[in-house]
Amino acid sequence: MLFDDYTVRTVALGAAGLGIVSGALGTFAVLRRQALVGDAVSHAALPGIVLAYLVTGSKASLGLLLGAAITGFLAVLLVTAVIRTTRVKADAALGLWLASFFGVGLVLLTFVQRRPDASQAGLDRFLFGQAATVLREDVWTIAIVGAIALSVLALAWKQMKLLAFDPDFGTALGLRMRLADVLLTGLLVVATVIGLQMVGAVLMSAMLIAPTAAARQWSDRLGRVTLLAGLFGAVAGVVGAVASSRAERLPTGPTIVLAVAAIVLLSFLFAPTRGIAMRWLRARSRRGRLALNAVLESVGELEQQHGSGSRGHAAETIGALIAGDPRVALEQLARRGLVARTPDGLWTLTVRGREELDRR
Amino acid sequence: MSAPAIEVADLTVAYGDKPVLWDVDVEVPAGTLTAVVGPNGAGKTTLIRSILGLVRAAAGSALVLGRPYDEQRRLVAYVPQRGSVDWDFPTNVLDVVLMGRYGRLGWFRRPGRADREAAAAALRKVGMEDYARRQISQLSGGQQQRVFLARALVQEAEVYLMDEPFQGVDATTERAIVELLRGIAAEGKTVVAVHHDLQTVPEYFDYVVLLNVRPIAAGRVEDVFTEENLRRTYGGRSALFRAT
Repeated sequence: MLFDDYTVRTVALGAAGLGIVSGALGTFAVLRRQALVGDAVSHAALPGIVLAYLVTGSKASLGLLLGAAITGFLAVLLVTAVIRTTRVKADAALGLWLASFFGVGLVLLTFVQRRPDASQAGLDRFLFGQAATVLREDVWTIAIVGAIALSVLALAWKQMKLLAFDPDFGTALGLRMRLADVLLTGLLVVATVIGLQMVGAVLMSAMLIAPTAAARQWSDRLGRVTLLAGLFGAVAGVVGAVASSRAERLPTGPTIVLAVAAIVLLSFLFAPTRGIAMRWLRARSRRGRLALNAVLESVGELEQQHGSGSRGHAAETIGALIAGDPRVALEQLARRGLVARTPDGLWTLTVRGREELDRR
Repeated sequence: MSAPAIEVADLTVAYGDKPVLWDVDVEVPAGTLTAVVGPNGAGKTTLIRSILGLVRAAAGSALVLGRPYDEQRRLVAYVPQRGSVDWDFPTNVLDVVLMGRYGRLGWFRRPGRADREAAAAALRKVGMEDYARRQISQLSGGQQQRVFLARALVQEAEVYLMDEPFQGVDATTERAIVELLRGIAAEGKTVVAVHHDLQTVPEYFDYVVLLNVRPIAAGRVEDVFTEENLRRTYGGRSALFRAT
């Protein structure tokens, strides 16, 4: 069995936990139109990781992730400060700090890798993620931190909902929306940072955004969207992480992101009410019903013009009335017993067909 | 005499260097249906939002029923502009109305049966009881407005601050909402609404605040809703006189 393998099981557990946390928290980032906050955090985490390594000299994940969280949070604060104090808009402010921090991170990374004592410190795994480097204690980190994050989300559910839907109303109610905002941002930083080792800084934001984009297709209720986003995140995480840990040198981030992109695509196509396929089918059946009606009415009209003594009407005559080919529609109407074909291939209304028309 | 519902003193609000409200003193007596009227950019919305503490004032204070707003939050309900939220948000009508109860629930408690009953009653009052399970993206403008009203009703407040409650509402709904507001005022509660249609002010409201960055006049409609005051508010280009 695939999951009997110790490494694969570790990776799968970690990826599932990560997917649940980032999917569920990402729902709130997306709904309050801050989808790219995760992108800023994950890119800004890179210099934090390298600095933490330079300071501590250790490659243990926990210390590195702490560094990542600090610079990630700092970037969000700077983005907010720029939006508040200058005329620069939110998207530009995000892009500005994201690139600046990431640039510093890349410079530091190159510097570290050139040092003779730390050949390939292995820090570049935080760029695209490397599931194979995930250890059992990393999974514990993800599980504990993730459980805390989800508990906070569940406890402050009302506040988070108002924060996403109508924060001013929340403030007017006397709820502390500023605190809720800081809390949600903190949770997003946490969700982003614990994903760095597996998914990597470059693509981590997809784990926050894509599961919600898919889940929104399937439900109109916030609770269900959040649960589904967590589920989709977990599935994508497991599929991507397991696939990449089996293959040599396959970076995990891109593989996971491809998996979640596939879920999004399937959701856009096949979700029950919003999906493209169902919308197309509904439109087609509506068009079909309209066509059937038009043909039935044409037969009725001809019958009225020629009196009920007529022997029937050729498909071509009916087709001239509806300006199209009526044959498929006539066959369908015949199957429903509304019209009938005479032995010489002409079409007449049946008794039921006439009743149907009279009823209108 | 009981304390006025709203008592704004020396209120000044500025965005950057541009004053939006300049030294505004306004008193709204309790139990009135009050319209806040003025041209675009007069600071009507800002007045409502600064009473609620949503906009930081450069100077001034707002009292609600004689005490600072911060101590009276529970007594004030708010109906924001309909366009201020994303109506594609994944939730239904009942859930939005229940949000009006979140203030009294605190951080961790979930809405209970009493809250759901209050929400159902509010939906009945605004004629939306058949829409409780409806996804909010499927509502018309008038229905959205009524959902926001129901959400304010479940706050069970004494003072209702409404930002353009008739915006994008059809004539029938508008009458229904006015009836509802009259009912609220008849219970001794106070409604303050930002209003755009000067024609209907005398018919709908009994008190009016005329505003154009500075306060122009405030008082009973029959006393202050005069041609002279409107001209001072709108700078001689009053919509009322153009239309008639």
